[in-house]
Amino acid sequence: MPLLELACEPCADMLKSGISRNEIDAVLFSSCATEQYSSTIISEMLGIRPKVSHRIDSLCNSGTNAVASAFSMIASGLCDMALVVGAEKANSPGNRLLWDITRGSFMFPVHWAAIFAKAHMRKYGTTEAQMAKVSVKNHKNAAKNPLALFRKQVSLNEVMNSKKIADPVKLLDCSAPCDGASAVLLVSEEKAKKMDKPVWIKGIGQQTNSASFAKAAGDLTAIEAARRAARVAFEMSQTKPLQVEVAELHDAFTILEILAYEDLGFVKKGEGGKFVDQQEIAINPRGGIIGCGHPVGTTGVAQVAEVASQLAGKAGKRQVKGCRTGLVHNLAAAGSSATIIIMGA
Amino acid sequence: MKKGEFWAPVCASCGRRAWPPSQLCPQCLSKTSLKKVETTGTLLEFTSSHVKGKEGVFGVIEMSGIRLIGSFVSDQLKEGMKVRMTKCGVRPDGTAFYAFAPAGD
Repeated sequence: MPLLELACEPCADMLKSGISRNEIDAVLFSSCATEQYSSTIISEMLGIRPKVSHRIDSLCNSGTNAVASAFSMIASGLCDMALVVGAEKANSPGNRLLWDITRGSFMFPVHWAAIFAKAHMRKYGTTEAQMAKVSVKNHKNAAKNPLALFRKQVSLNEVMNSKKIADPVKLLDCSAPCDGASAVLLVSEEKAKKMDKPVWIKGIGQQTNSASFAKAAGDLTAIEAARRAARVAFEMSQTKPLQVEVAELHDAFTILEILAYEDLGFVKKGEGGKFVDQQEIAINPRGGIIGCGHPVGTTGVAQVAEVASQLAGKAGKRQVKGCRTGLVHNLAAAGSSATIIIMGA
Repeated sequence: MKKGEFWAPVCASCGRRAWPPSQLCPQCLSKTSLKKVETTGTLLEFTSSHVKGKEGVFGVIEMSGIRLIGSFVSDQLKEGMKVRMTKCGVRPDGTAFYAFAPAGD
């Protein structure tokens, strides 16, 4: 299916469920694809004539950037109802950052992921088994998600014995690009109060440290941009890390989920590996990126959609009972930039 | 780099390197010009790649404020050791490569 039609799919479902097209005054398209005027074409295909329509690209965290932009437009009064749609094809140019020659010949994301994993294992004793458990957990959750790319569970042994890609990262420690689309609707407070089970954005934190791997951070055992962004988001929402009950974390590689536990403050630095087994916070209930695939521009939107569904009590078989505070953690390009969104029921 | 020499943009005003390469110095925003730079540095982390066409040892090296990922032939490496660039260039497909070895070798 061509990209723009793919983008229309979740939007059409949403519009058919009773959202009024005339009230949508912004259509924001999150994607790394470079088709001209894509956002506006999507608006036209959906029969929407908004005030604003444009594409947002920040590689792997395009999605949460688009949600943050929609939030800003509404908060400023420039619009009252923003449709945010993310869509990507498997062969997206967003899968690789060609400009970053600091990576030399080793320019695939798996290469920096292997460096982060090795550094963390060396400094803190994190094990390959702990990384593997992230994959087992996320595949198990994806099995309950009819929209996930991978519907089969995997065992710890299968992950540990999967093909080596760049030590210590193995095939089942990695996510895969794929076709995908997801849409969310953001509305003003006034409009939200008239709708069924709205979910609220309580805090947003963003940090852009660099575009290159070379300048992303000094310390190879943390995603510094995520740490900064998280602090801002928690401050803005007046919440503490352990008040989070459900979260979608950026598990493009299993090591990134372990780093997220530390960067978000769920545990102290170095303790991430042991936190994989915890049951207190529901992590990646949709299956994360590992389970659902990584259609780059779609991911952030899909993460927000999942957490919103959970907080609204509409997650069906995946429902995390009684959750009232949720978090989305979305990274780009070796963690050079990060967006954190905190939501509440 | 196409000639196999590692040159980086250096700022005419403050002397800092613009890396990844840029004609603008990110520190003081003056113009940069290409200069040959010191290519010995420290190995921060290393591991092995099994990706088809990119098999072998690779690591993150920091050399005078420039950080990059380079390849190694030897696997007798230790984090923190001094290393030096042995070769660099641009492949036909436009990708850069940096080859390193322990400084003693």
